[in-house]
Amino acid sequence: MTPDSITSRFSPLFEPRVVAVVGASANKISPGNEFIRHSRALGYRGHMVVLHPTAESVEGERAIKSFAEMDETIDFAYIAVDAPKVAGVLAAAKGRIRFALVMSSGFGETEAGRALEAEAVAAAAASGIRLLGPNCLGVYAPRAGLAFVGGCSSQPGPIGVLSQSGGLAVDVLLRGRERGLRFSALVTIGNSADVGPDELLAYYLADPHTAAVGLYLEDVKNGRRFFEVLRASRASKPVVLLLGGQTNEGRAAAASHTGALATDVSIWLGIARQTGLTIVPTLEDFLDTLLAFQLLRPRLERPTTSAALFGNGGGTSVLAADAFARRGLRVPRFPAPAIAALEALKLPPGTSIVNPIDAPAGTLRKDDGGVAKTILEVVYGLADPDAIVMHINLAVFGKSLDQRADFVGNLVDAAAALQAVQPSGPHFLLVLRSDGSRQCDDRRRELREALLHRNIAVFDEMTNAATALGSMSAYEHFRYRQGSRAAAAAVENAPVRIA
Amino acid sequence: MLTRILDEPSGKSLLRKYAIGAPRGVVVGTPQEAQVQAAESGLQFPLAVKIVSPDAVHKSDVGGVVLGVRDADALRAVVSRLIANAQHKGLALDGVLIEEMAATGHELVIGGIIDQRFGPCLMLGTGGIYVEVMADACFSVCPIDEHDAREMVEQLRSLPLLRGARGKPPLSEPALISALLAIGGEDGLLMAMRDELVELDINPLIVSRDSATACDARIVLKTL
Repeated sequence: MTPDSITSRFSPLFEPRVVAVVGASANKISPGNEFIRHSRALGYRGHMVVLHPTAESVEGERAIKSFAEMDETIDFAYIAVDAPKVAGVLAAAKGRIRFALVMSSGFGETEAGRALEAEAVAAAAASGIRLLGPNCLGVYAPRAGLAFVGGCSSQPGPIGVLSQSGGLAVDVLLRGRERGLRFSALVTIGNSADVGPDELLAYYLADPHTAAVGLYLEDVKNGRRFFEVLRASRASKPVVLLLGGQTNEGRAAAASHTGALATDVSIWLGIARQTGLTIVPTLEDFLDTLLAFQLLRPRLERPTTSAALFGNGGGTSVLAADAFARRGLRVPRFPAPAIAALEALKLPPGTSIVNPIDAPAGTLRKDDGGVAKTILEVVYGLADPDAIVMHINLAVFGKSLDQRADFVGNLVDAAAALQAVQPSGPHFLLVLRSDGSRQCDDRRRELREALLHRNIAVFDEMTNAATALGSMSAYEHFRYRQGSRAAAAAVENAPVRIA
Repeated sequence: MLTRILDEPSGKSLLRKYAIGAPRGVVVGTPQEAQVQAAESGLQFPLAVKIVSPDAVHKSDVGGVVLGVRDADALRAVVSRLIANAQHKGLALDGVLIEEMAATGHELVIGGIIDQRFGPCLMLGTGGIYVEVMADACFSVCPIDEHDAREMVEQLRSLPLLRGARGKPPLSEPALISALLAIGGEDGLLMAMRDELVELDINPLIVSRDSATACDARIVLKTL
C-alpha cells in the first residue's frame, strides 16, 4: 500500500468532518458525554450528531433515532452502549459509517464476550465499517479537535501513539503533555478485533504529521504483518515500543532447546535488532524517549557515542556519568585545547572542567548566570561532543539567600540561545532537578513550558536524560549502519569500469 | 497439536537438502552389519555411534551415544552394547547410526520455531547441549539476510572465544553465516517448511576453522 493511500484511508478517523456518538446520555455524564464535551473543548468544529432512542438533543447536539435520518456519511462514530447492543448498532449503520470505535467492554477480553466480539466484527464487516476496539477508550486527534479525556493539549505535535490499553493512553497523554510531548494523534485499540497495530503503525509511518511513533502493546495480533511493516520502513521514523505482559517463560510444551529459549522478550529483542525498533520497559522511559525523538534531530552522519555534562553537583555528575555509561554513552575527557580554553576562563576554585564540568552554584552565578554562555561556547567550539547535557539543581538556587538575579533563568536562556544557532551541532538536553517542593516543581513547569517553544527538551533527572539519549543513540547507530550497508552495496553493484 | 519427531538420520538428510553439512554415516541393525557397512562406506574412524529410537528424546541421557570409537572391533562391541542397553531399558529401536566424527570446533546451536504471531524465527546459541545453561542465544524473525546473520553472530557474548581468544582456533564465520542463511534465509528451511514444521534444533552444530557440521538434529513436524 502506498503512503498516500493509507493516509487517505485513515483520514476519516483522524480528520473527521462528521462524527456520531452512540451512547451519550440526555441527563447523566457517560463516556459518550465526556467524548462530546472534551472534543468540543479541544475545538472540534465539524458536524456532530448523537444517536439516542428518545431525546431530541443531547449535549446541545441534535439527536437522531436512527442512522436512516442521516444524509451524510459518518466519518467517525464513538460507540459506548452495552456490549450486546453493539452488533445491532453496526448492522443498522450499513454504508453510513467509515470508522467506529467501540468503547464498551464485555467482549473478547472475557470468555463470555467472545461470541459478542465475533458478532460485532461480522456486523462491521458486512456494513463496510472499520472497527476500533472494542474495549478501549477513544481517539485523540488534536488537528481535528477530538478528545476522550479532559486536559489534553490542543496543540498538535509530531508524536503518533497507539495503545492497547486505554488507561495507559491517558497517562501517555496527560503525563506526556506535562513533560512536553505533543501528539499528531493517539488511538486506543483495546482488543484490536479489526483494525490492528500493524495497520495503524503503517498509517503513522506514512503520515506526514507524524515524526516518531510510540506503541504500547501487550499482544500483537497479526504479528507477522507488524514485523513486515517495521522491516519495510527501514527505520525511516523512530518507533518506540513500551512492551507489556511479556513473560520470560519459554514455551511450556517445548520439546527443543530452541523452544525453551524462545521467550517473548528474546523474540522482541531480535525484532528490535532487525528493524531499529526501540523497546522500553517503563512508562517513564517511554515518555523520555519520545521527548528526545520529538525535539532532537537524529545525527545520522555521526551517531551519538559521547556526551559532555555541565552543571552543579559533584555527586550528581559522577552518578550521571555512570548512568550514561550504562546506556552505552561515554563522558570522555575533553581534548587539550578545550581544557586549556576552560582553564583560561579562570573559573572559581572548586570548578572541575575536564568533563563532566562540575560547576558549583558560585561558579554558575558568575555574570548573573551568563557564565553558561562563556563555558558552553568553549564546549561547542573546541570539544565538539555528540551531546551536551546541562543540569541545574533548582533547589540550590531557589532556596538560597542570594536572590540578586534570576540565575537559573539566565543560565537556561544563555544555553538555549547558543543551541538555537547550532542547527547541526550536538544534541542539547536540559535537566532541571527539583527537590519535589512546590516552589521547585512550579519553576520547572514554567521553564519547561517556555523552553518547549524554543525546542529545548527538559528532563527531570540525569537518568531520564541518559535513557532518552541512549535511545536516540541506538536509533542513530541503526540508521548509520543501514546507510553504510546501502553505500557498500552501491559500490559492489556499480558497473566495473575498464580503463 | 499432534506432532512427530524425525529420527536423526531423516533429520540430517533433510538438512543436507538445505546445504547444511552432516557427518557421513549409515544406519545398521546388528554389530556385524556395522562392521561391514563401515568398511563398505569407507567411514573414517574414529566414529560416533548412536541409537535411533523414537523413545529416546535425549539419546545421551539413556546411554544411547558413544563417541570416538577407534576401530572395527571396538565398533562391533559398542553397537552390541548399545542394542543390549536399549533392549534392557525397553526402548523401541529403529537401528544404530554410525557416523564419522566432526572436525573439532566450537559447539553452537541453530534452532527454529514457528511462532504463532511472528511466524518462522531463527535462533543462534552457544554451548551445544548446555545452551540453556549458557543462556547465550539470540533470535531473529525470518527471513534473515546476510547482515542479520552477521549481527546474530556478533550478538553472542562468547564471540571473543569463538574468534579464538586465548589461543583456541577461531571458527569459520562464513561457514556459520551460510548455515544461518540455509536455515533462516529467504530460501531457507524455516521459510520453506513453515506450514509443517513445529520446531528444529541443530545441536550441536560444530563449527571448525573451515566448516559447519550438524552433529545432531531434532526436527519436530506437525502430524498431518
